[in-house]
This record gives sequence, structure tokens and C-alpha cells, in this order.
Amino acid sequence: MKEKRYVMGDTAIARGALEAGVRVVAGYPGTPATEIVEECLGHPGVHVEWANNEKVAFEICVGASLCHVRSLPVMKHNGTNYVTDFLMHVNFTGIRGGLVLISADDPGALSSQNEEDTRILVHQYAHLPMFDPSSPQEAKAMIKEAYDLSEKTELVWCLRPVTRVCHARGIIEFDDLPQELPAAHYEPDRKRFIMSAVEVPEFGGLKRPQLRHRWLNEKQEMLQGIMEESSYNWIEKGEGKVGLIGCGMGYTLIKEAEQYIGRKLPLLKLGTLPLPKKKIREFVKGLEKIVIFEETEPFVEGLIKKIFHEEKIEVEVLGRSGFVPSDGELTLQMILETVRKAAPEVKIAQPEVPVPQIHIPIRTRTQCVGCNYRGILNALKQTVRKHKGIVAGDIGCHDAGSFSPMELQSTIYCMGSSVPMASGMVLSGVNRPIFAFIGDSTFYHNGILGLINAANNKINVNVILGENSVTAMTGFQPHPGTGRTLAGEETQPINVPKLAESMGISYRVVNPYDIQQCRQALEAAVKEEGPSLIVSSMPCYLLSTRRGQKVFEPKEVRLNPEICNGCMICINDFGCPAISFDKKQKKVSIDPMTCVGCGLCVDVCKRGAIS
Amino acid sequence: MKMDVIIAGVGGQGNIFASIVISQYAMNKKLNVLGAETIGAAQRGGSVVSHIRIAEGPIYSPLISRGQADLLIGMEYVEMLRHLRLLNPQGAYLVNAIKIPTVQNNMGLDEYPEPAEILKAAKKYCPNGHVIEASTLAKKLGNVQMTNVVMLGALAQVLPFFDYEEMKWLVASNSPTRFKEANLKGYEEGYKMVKS
Repeated sequence: MKEKRYVMGDTAIARGALEAGVRVVAGYPGTPATEIVEECLGHPGVHVEWANNEKVAFEICVGASLCHVRSLPVMKHNGTNYVTDFLMHVNFTGIRGGLVLISADDPGALSSQNEEDTRILVHQYAHLPMFDPSSPQEAKAMIKEAYDLSEKTELVWCLRPVTRVCHARGIIEFDDLPQELPAAHYEPDRKRFIMSAVEVPEFGGLKRPQLRHRWLNEKQEMLQGIMEESSYNWIEKGEGKVGLIGCGMGYTLIKEAEQYIGRKLPLLKLGTLPLPKKKIREFVKGLEKIVIFEETEPFVEGLIKKIFHEEKIEVEVLGRSGFVPSDGELTLQMILETVRKAAPEVKIAQPEVPVPQIHIPIRTRTQCVGCNYRGILNALKQTVRKHKGIVAGDIGCHDAGSFSPMELQSTIYCMGSSVPMASGMVLSGVNRPIFAFIGDSTFYHNGILGLINAANNKINVNVILGENSVTAMTGFQPHPGTGRTLAGEETQPINVPKLAESMGISYRVVNPYDIQQCRQALEAAVKEEGPSLIVSSMPCYLLSTRRGQKVFEPKEVRLNPEICNGCMICINDFGCPAISFDKKQKKVSIDPMTCVGCGLCVDVCKRGAIS
Repeated sequence: MKMDVIIAGVGGQGNIFASIVISQYAMNKKLNVLGAETIGAAQRGGSVVSHIRIAEGPIYSPLISRGQADLLIGMEYVEMLRHLRLLNPQGAYLVNAIKIPTVQNNMGLDEYPEPAEILKAAKKYCPNGHVIEASTLAKKLGNVQMTNVVMLGALAQVLPFFDYEEMKWLVASNSPTRFKEANLKGYEEGYKMVKS
């Protein structure tokens, strides 16, 4: 029975995988891909889990695949970076049960620490085939087909949806789910699955990795043939000597732009890697110039230039190497401006709208009112000021402590980098107290490795673990410190003090709603030689409130305007959204509608104006 | 026929609920629907914007481009202002008469423009505008969380495209049981409020 539903692209992708008979789903939360994992939940016989990092998730999926089961590893681009080491081996061995890697890219870094194009990593570097969807519907069709093709070619396939596919909503047709899934079985094949520098007698003693490399190279012809026939690439006829190429979302935006462009330009829609060379040759016949719209790097542009060079095709190739902006998300405006430049004779009619000249304040995110991170961050701010300390930050809700006005953390890079970076600062001899601030999900992702290293090498770094027992930033996904799995089963949450004990490092557990206690622990840590750990432990306020659990006893907080002298310490060192500053009165006030009564600001105010 | 709708607000104002009701309404009319949401920082006071594109023919981009929206629902003054450029000046807008300052506004590091100034500029840009005291009414009815259903009620009054009874049914069917009655009340009162 076919049913139509209005759902998110992520739901469409999950549904496609389920319809293809996926049995093992593993990922690590990351916008915009998170919902793909969650939407796979609740189907008998399908194991769905949050792994502690993407590499673990991917390796789980490959293990399942070697037992002839279809699996789905889900991650955003940062995760794919993390998986690269394993990817650069499994591309040589190939897989058994269908395996489609979801590597979601976030052009414009709408919810990311960087923007990048994982097509380069997966296709150019690992030589694996990819689909680049232009819509949620196409993403669903692509993933279903990719499972069959993955088994046919014995290779990992990759679907690379961008944010505007993942978080778009459309009407999606739901097909039936498979009634029975094939049983798992395993047969050893060491010639394939032992990736080791061992000599292969049949090939005169060549090393196995080289032979597996050869195997992967030989697959490329088969992939080329598949993509030449693929229904995800097509030509739309048009007038003139300037042709447009749209890859994935690039195609969608060109179609949107067509209503404003005076005539239909020749258009090639591309959704596959490798590229369909024959189709490209056919498309450019009679054209003088082509403009390529792709997210984000000039990747297809480079591949097409290579094809033209090899085949001596003299057509000018323009795209994101500068003709179209080389950074950020493609927009309709970019397409129209580019077409105007590339084909000045074509009329472009887009309505001009007058824009009101009023200053529009930017809405920067912050921690929630009542968030326990604000307590430990305030204590750390005070400590850092007193001792001229430096804080290396990490990924998570606490990152807002690095924004204006708090400006506490000095660095934020990727998952787990805070502790090793802080260690390096110590080792540089900079001779200032060095702190690392890391959340618990990030700690289990790989931050723990930095701590083990600091312990082992006796590095005098002060690590603060913000333990809120959940991956809050992406929407409360459980992790190894939560005590339950994604499917809701109870597990043993990791005991961090015991972990610290086993590493031989000193630790202090503090309640972040007690700023004095946090301050004392931080002072003690600064005085102590060698690595130290502060576990700032309290469940996420927002999640706890939703579940009807209290993390503090709400108090009625009042501000005495007689005592407040407008020093703004409660704003600059604390930044609670319930506290506002009146410029005329030069005093702060607390909005009773927004305040949740955590009472942290009582400790923050040095004059005792808040009680 | 097309109806491009922007719902602009702040995390926690119930944009997503409103966008789902509007999308389902269009689906029930056998129209094409495509949408997009920016929900990244929804739980942490960030802007939340839903684009809902409704048309008889094919729809390509999930995002509404400059001057193309037929309807702008501003759940708050500044968020309405931020997205005004997406509205077709011949279209219509509804704005909830409430000011949600940004963190930077609160801290005295940035200015929140005067609502009267915003409304004046909006009226000049697009004459068909409606200021709805939705949060005030929702609070009076017992829960500020009902702002979104009050706005939907007002919408059914303002734009004939949205049928009162059909929308009401969707508000009911999308509400969790314990909020159903209150949401329906909010919807009805929102509808009446614009009329009177």
C-alpha cells in the first residue's frame, strides 16, 4: 500500500533505507543528519543506535555488512572526516551486505563549526561512488537504489544530502517495508578482509594492499557504466550557447531561477559520481560556455575540466572556482547574478523590493535560562581572570560561553580537541594556568583520549567536564554517560570518577548550581601540579524540566535597584537571558516571566543586589 | 495558484506546529507542498523560520526567495521585520504584537527597534497588514504557548484561502489530547479577535 506523507528529508532518507531492508543503523548526532537515525527507530528486527562516535558507527555497519546484512552509518561531514582512516581501508576490501554511508554536508555552516564538501573525501580520495540528491524525494529513491548497487559492485556507496535536503519537507510516497529480512551468515575471506602488508604469492609477492588498490581501480569502469545509465542525470534542452549544469541542490535552484530568466538555457542535471561522461559530451555539443552550480567546492567543475582536457573539448568551464562565489551556500540570487554575467544577452526579471532601513538585531543563541553550564562557566571566568588563565573550548551548548559578552573559551575546533590543545599550551611553556572545557558527549566521542594522554604524560592541564548526561545540543540524544540506549533500554552509565582514578589523576565532583563550590575546586586544581579533572555534574535543565524532574529548588529571585550600581558583572560574566540592562537607568532588572529561579545570579552579583 | 508562506519567530513559539497545520491543509486540498525549516538553535533562543510553499504546479526550491511570499506570519516584531524582504508587497502579513528582545538587546549591547517604527515601515512596504494581540490573548486564555493557534485563527479570518472549519479540524487533530480543548478555544478566539 502506498501512502503519501508530508515529511522531512531526513525522514524520507530513513524510510528509503528501511524499505531497502536495512538491519543495522548507527550514527552520532550531528545537524542536519540526526533525525535520520531517530526516524529508523521502532521497526522490529532493525537495530538502531547512537554510537559514541562516527568511526565506531561506521565500523559497526561494516561488521554487519560482512555478515551480509544491510546497514546504515549516519553522520555529518565532520564525522566523515573522522571516519576517513577506516574508509581508506574498506574502499580496498569492499563490503558484502549493502552499505550506504550518509555524509550530510552543511553548506554555509548553518549549524556547523566548518563548511566543507565531503564529495572530495569520499569520491576523489576514497574513489567511492556517490549520489548527490536535489530533493527529499530524490534522496529516498537514491538510497534505495544505492543499496542494490552497493551489493552489485561490492562497494560502500555514499549519499550526500545537504542541509536543504535533510531539513526540507515534502510529500513523500511511503512504500511497503520488506516482510522478511535475509538471515546473517559469515564465511571467512582473509585474502580480502585482512588488510595487512602481507605478500601474495600468486602475484609474485606483491603486497596485499597494492592488489586491493588494483581491485578498487578496476571497479571504476563498472561504476562509470552504471552512472552513464543512471536516471539521476539528465539533459533539458534550451536555447543559446551558454549551458548550465546543476549538481544536487544546484539543479533545484536553477529550476527555481528559470521563472526569472528570459529563455530556457540548456541544462544538465547531475546527481552521480563518477560523472556520466557520455552525457556531458552530448550536452556540450554546440555550446561555448558552461556554468556549474554545485555545493560547495568547484569539484565537478574540476572533473569536467579534466574530461575536456583529455578529450580536447574546447568549451569554457565556469563555476565555483571564482565565477560563482567559492564559499557559502548557493542561493537563487547567486544563480541569477551568475547567469547575468555569463549570458548578458539573456533578460532576467526579478522583482526589486524596497527594504526598510531599520536596524535588525541579530539573534545569537545562548545557553537556556536555568542551564547549569552558566554556573560553572561563571566560576571558570572568575578563576581565569584571577590567574590569567587560558581556556581551550570544545563542541556543545557550553560553546556559547565563548561568544560576546562572556568571551571565555579562546579556541573551539572539533570534537575532543580541547584537551590535547590545552595540553599543547601547557607544554609550550606559556606559564599560565591552562583549562580545557568539554561536554560529556564530546568526552566519550574522543575527548577521553586527550585526557588519557594528559594523564600518561603528566601534563599540568585542568580539564572541566560539563556532565549534563545527554547530547543536549542536537536534541537530547543519549550517550555512554546517560544510562539508557536510544531504544530506551537501561545501561550502566560510565562512572567518571572511577575512570579518573584508574588514570591516576585527581578529580573533584562539583554541583554547577553552587558557584562557590566550583570556585574552590578550580582554585585547588590550579594550585595542584599535574593533570586534574573537575566533573561539573548535573542533568540538562531543559530535558529534566520536560520530564518533570527538578535539578534545583526554584527560588524567587529579586533585584534591589537601590543596591545595583550597573556594574554589569551579571551580564558580562554570566549572560542570563532573563537579566536585562537599562541604559538610561544604568541598572539591571530581572524579567520574572523569563526567570526560572535557578538563583545562580545571586552568587554572581558582588554587591548583593540580587537575593 | 500559489501560496508561499513564511512563519518567522523565536524558538519555543510553536512555529513548527503552525507550519504543519498549514502544510496539511494544503495537502488535503490536493496541492503540492514543499517546506524548509531552520531549527538549528530553536531550543536556545535562536530565530526559527519555516518556509511553506504551496502550489498547483511543481515547486522546486524549499526556500522562498525575495519578494515571493504571499503571506508572512511574524510571531514577534523583529522576526517579522527580518523576513519582510521575502514578502511580496501585494501579499499580506500578520504580526503578533509582542517584542522578544535578543540576548544582546537585554545586555544593552544592541538596540531593539521601536515596534511603532517597525509597523510603520511594514505598512509602507505592504499595505495589507494585521497586528494581532496573540500572545496577550493566549496569556489571558491561560497559556502563552497558545500564541500559535491564536495566530492560526486570525489567519483563517484574514485570508479566504484558509477555510475556518478545515483549519480548526487540523488544529484539533494535531494537538496532544491534553491541549486539544485549550488550543481550539485559542483558535476560535483568534478568529473572533480579528473580526471584532
